[in-house]
Amino acid sequence: MNGRLTGLPTLRVDPHQAIAFLYRGREFHGQSGDTVAVALFDNGVRVFSRSVKYHRPRGLYSLDGESSNCAMEIDGVPNVQTEKTLLQSGMSVLPQNVVGSPETDLLGFIAHLDWAMPAGFYYQTLHRPAWFWPIAMRRIQQLAGVGRIEPSFRMKGVFDEVYPTTDVCVIGGGPAGMCAALAAAAYDLRVILLEARPHLGGMYDHRVVLDAEGRTLHDRGMELASRVEATPRIRVLRHTSLIGIYNNNLVTGFQAGDADDAFDERYVELRARSVVVATGCIERPLLFENNERPGVMQAGCAHRMARTYGVLPGSRSVFSVGHDLGLEAALDLAELGLPVLAVADSRDQGRDEALVEALQAKGISYLSGWVAEKAHGRRELTRVTLTAIHGGARRDFSCDLLVASAGLTPLTAPLTMAGAKPAFDSHTGFFLPNGMPDKMHAAGSMLGHGYPEAIEASGRYAGLEAAADCGGAVESALEEARNAVKAAPGTAGSMIVRAPRSGRKAFVCFDEDTTVKNVKQAFDIGFDVPELSKRFAAVGTGPSQGGVPAHNFPFLLSEYRAEPLGGVVPTTARAPMVPASIATFAGTNHDMHKRTPLHDSQSQAGGIMRRIGVWKRARYFSPDLLCREEIENVRKNVGLIDISTLGKFRIFGPDAEKALQRVYAGNMAKVPTRKLKYSAMCNDDGCLVDDGVVTKRAECDYYLTTSTGRAGVTVEWIRYHTRYDNWDFHIVNLTDAFGVINVAGPNARRVLQKVTDCDVSNEALPFMGYQESAIGDGIPARVCRIGFVGELGYELHVPSSLTQAAWDLLMEAGRECGIRPFGVEAQSCMRLEKGHVIVGTESEIRTTLLDLGMGFLWYRQKPAAKTVGATALRQTADQLGRLKLVGIETHDPKQTPKDGSVVVDTEVRGHVCTARFSFTLSKSIGLAMVEDELAAEGTELEIYQDDWGKERIKARVVKVPFYDPDGERMKT
Amino acid sequence: MTTHRSLSPATLSATPARTEQRDGWEVVLEFENQGGGPHLIDLSHRARWDVQDGNISEMAPWGVPVPATPGQCAMGNGVIINRMNRTQASVWHLEGERLEAPPDDPPYTNVTEATVFLALLGRDVFSIAEKLTALGFLGSTQSPPFLVQGPLLHVPSQIVCLSHEAERGGLLFTCSRGYGATMVEGIVQAGSEFGLRPAGEDRYADWIRERF
Repeated sequence: MNGRLTGLPTLRVDPHQAIAFLYRGREFHGQSGDTVAVALFDNGVRVFSRSVKYHRPRGLYSLDGESSNCAMEIDGVPNVQTEKTLLQSGMSVLPQNVVGSPETDLLGFIAHLDWAMPAGFYYQTLHRPAWFWPIAMRRIQQLAGVGRIEPSFRMKGVFDEVYPTTDVCVIGGGPAGMCAALAAAAYDLRVILLEARPHLGGMYDHRVVLDAEGRTLHDRGMELASRVEATPRIRVLRHTSLIGIYNNNLVTGFQAGDADDAFDERYVELRARSVVVATGCIERPLLFENNERPGVMQAGCAHRMARTYGVLPGSRSVFSVGHDLGLEAALDLAELGLPVLAVADSRDQGRDEALVEALQAKGISYLSGWVAEKAHGRRELTRVTLTAIHGGARRDFSCDLLVASAGLTPLTAPLTMAGAKPAFDSHTGFFLPNGMPDKMHAAGSMLGHGYPEAIEASGRYAGLEAAADCGGAVESALEEARNAVKAAPGTAGSMIVRAPRSGRKAFVCFDEDTTVKNVKQAFDIGFDVPELSKRFAAVGTGPSQGGVPAHNFPFLLSEYRAEPLGGVVPTTARAPMVPASIATFAGTNHDMHKRTPLHDSQSQAGGIMRRIGVWKRARYFSPDLLCREEIENVRKNVGLIDISTLGKFRIFGPDAEKALQRVYAGNMAKVPTRKLKYSAMCNDDGCLVDDGVVTKRAECDYYLTTSTGRAGVTVEWIRYHTRYDNWDFHIVNLTDAFGVINVAGPNARRVLQKVTDCDVSNEALPFMGYQESAIGDGIPARVCRIGFVGELGYELHVPSSLTQAAWDLLMEAGRECGIRPFGVEAQSCMRLEKGHVIVGTESEIRTTLLDLGMGFLWYRQKPAAKTVGATALRQTADQLGRLKLVGIETHDPKQTPKDGSVVVDTEVRGHVCTARFSFTLSKSIGLAMVEDELAAEGTELEIYQDDWGKERIKARVVKVPFYDPDGERMKT
Repeated sequence: MTTHRSLSPATLSATPARTEQRDGWEVVLEFENQGGGPHLIDLSHRARWDVQDGNISEMAPWGVPVPATPGQCAMGNGVIINRMNRTQASVWHLEGERLEAPPDDPPYTNVTEATVFLALLGRDVFSIAEKLTALGFLGSTQSPPFLVQGPLLHVPSQIVCLSHEAERGGLLFTCSRGYGATMVEGIVQAGSEFGLRPAGEDRYADWIRERF
């Protein structure tokens, strides 16, 4: 570590807290408060990376991530913006896009081949001959991109998310933003202030010039920051970068956590009633030959290096600037001990003469109307050539630091993204936001204000406007603030874009290695519109999202189009405005799923839980994925399955029956008490969307079940299809209120009778019967005699909190006959044997009730207009060419098609919905949708398997049900 | 009366210090090391009712008139009535050990078993809430108690804001019972940085008594 400046009031580092880190395996030390880039620079690192295309050396240029120069790999994570990342103990930092070392890169020779790679050379050159393009493309893909990451890489850290709401959101914690926040909070409004840096202060933070009241700007910034932090209604989110602004004042960003935070990075999605954008300005790069050579940096960067971090950025410096901030930086850095050989000012007028006099008083050569023409040095800056803009005189200076800046560029991207239109202002040289979106306001230097009093007045005014948006009584204060803005002094901007004779190695976009010459090449080909030219020449398409090219690019295009400056406006900004990691967007990613009341006991009993829709269910109870023992136990004995996921509803009211008639295909006027009616729901196309049973519990009061997948939409479905009728009925979703246990198998009645005093004989509770009784010591149960798996079976609907108790009772009652649980897979295989369909498995979006052979559910005497889907069912009843559901049996019992396999001859003729090997029947069976001409019993089918080559599974169409065709087992 | 044990859908990872048997539920009155808050409290054993009627504005369940506007809440006689929409309100049992069942009228459906019922009380409640939902509870246009219906951890929920106070904030919420376990996991994870801990029903009862 070099000797740092100490004792400066502006410092944000703690020299007493050294932080050790590794760079290329060597241990270096920084200070608490350093960014990684600052610490590297202080340890003598000048070349941070190599550029993406030409492998040119790149170094510290700015401190706010305006380019990818300082993107490096930290702890295995590539493309980390080191100038914004706070140094932490033990970090391991590596350069990237380097073959060899950053100083000696083996691909550095590419920089000399720029003549062979004009703008859009991929598109122009590598397509001829055509066969060459695939080869070239592969090679480009290998070379393209920056940083490497393995697919197995797991991002370390805690990634959080937060969704605050507020009255006013202020973006930017500089003087204007802080004044805006204070002004709005004075009206008892909640304010959230977002600041990209780790501390408030913005452009005041590192400056020691005096304001009108004789305070240094740093002190004034600290004073404002103290007031902000002392205001309870203002919440400050530091180190928070903006990702985007969207309709209705939705603001997104991400916050980097510090040592005290519970997160490493946090996604912020904020909704505000009003937004103030006070993002300030960045510096507009000066375009000259080798303008990105390590040793060239922006004025603010050099100034903050010294004032904020105590690091003098060079030992011999030259300045080439176009604004007073550059002169101020030169003067202040000279005061701090940096030798300044010369200051070239591209302006002939508009400068602060006091600054010029102060520079000259210190013996610094001040060259008005001069500009840097070329930076020299193979890897790092060694010499600078300055030239007079008019006249051509030149002077060379040996130096290791060139502070270069053409002027300022307002950071209006958030506003343009939200819908404002940039319009050129010839006085400031800025593209200012025009047509501001509703309840969005701009403030500060981004509007062209340069003097502190103007910036602060502008902030106060915007804060009051935001308060007015939220209903604050601000009229008189607003008028006062408006007058203060008008009375504040204005500033003139600089228009210089590039030095004379710059082009081939003058970089407009550092990220993509795009030069002034490339922009001209694109223009000459015909890409004279910025939206096209930027893509063809790759300007501003890198990770910094146009930070460096920003407004230089439209200025250049204006020049080539022979239009006045501002004739071409910047392209629209897109999110993310700054690079954000995918892990941050992913956030905490809670796995929100539903669990049945039996989840824990199912899991403890060996259930292999799988996510099925929104639920987790026990799919298997053994490693045998064919579930032989589970199935055989149900077929020969008795089993239990948790089917709590069924949809369950109460529908009641005088018009409840009408509502049921509307949505069900069957005749719901005949829904019995103490019995169940099985029916189905279709959509307007007559396609099956749901099935279940309904029973009448009292007059105008029904209880119904739906399939698991439809439970979440049933209420809306019924309400939607009765929306014009003004019927008096109501629905309650009871899906989660009841756990459901299905006891199935020849011994089911024996088991059930042991836990209830009610008569569950075939006479008292026949097939499709319904009974409300109690099991055990008073657990209320709604008992449905149903046989989905094709055996004697009962569904017990019991209060969810007591479902485990009911399950335990049944398991105990069935212990002597060997009762055991079975899972969803066994259930699916058994219902297949029975030929029962599952909505969504045997049906899809175009499968009507009739296609499934379930026309018996359709009560055709109801007027068509009163039943959803009836009209379509009539129209498709005799339609040819439809897919029909059939049962299939393979010739070879051991050949079981995969679910979803296609039925083929010379073309695709259908598909297998479900197929399993049936242990009960000792053959492979399935349900398939096939074209109607193949649906006749006995038709031979061929089924394609994706890993069988030309061999096919041979099968034939057979009658369903496969098992117990007369249903005797269910009904006994 | 059943002797079977009713199980809550919410499992709070803490050791109960005092419990009470109530209608088959084992109600935790206090956990060990509850701390000073914020607190997450399982109230799933407390009764909830759904009330639906075309003339719901004229109704007064448990003697408390249903609020006129969706989003409004009314408290009294140990319950809170949350107006949900044109025809529907939810009723939650807030105070006292038991809630007498309403008359066996069609508009009333007992939905105690259908949802998980949780309370989030104490300081930093709204800092935790903003990690769970984009719904705002601190807007100046609403004064507690009020009902917000929307996603909490992406799960449709009914959320009642009982108090805006920074040190004594209070949210009650219900969502489908099946989400109970993952909802608790998500809330506990979100609240860990604020020291969120499980607390027993007594903490809730004290809070209600102090606040109302």
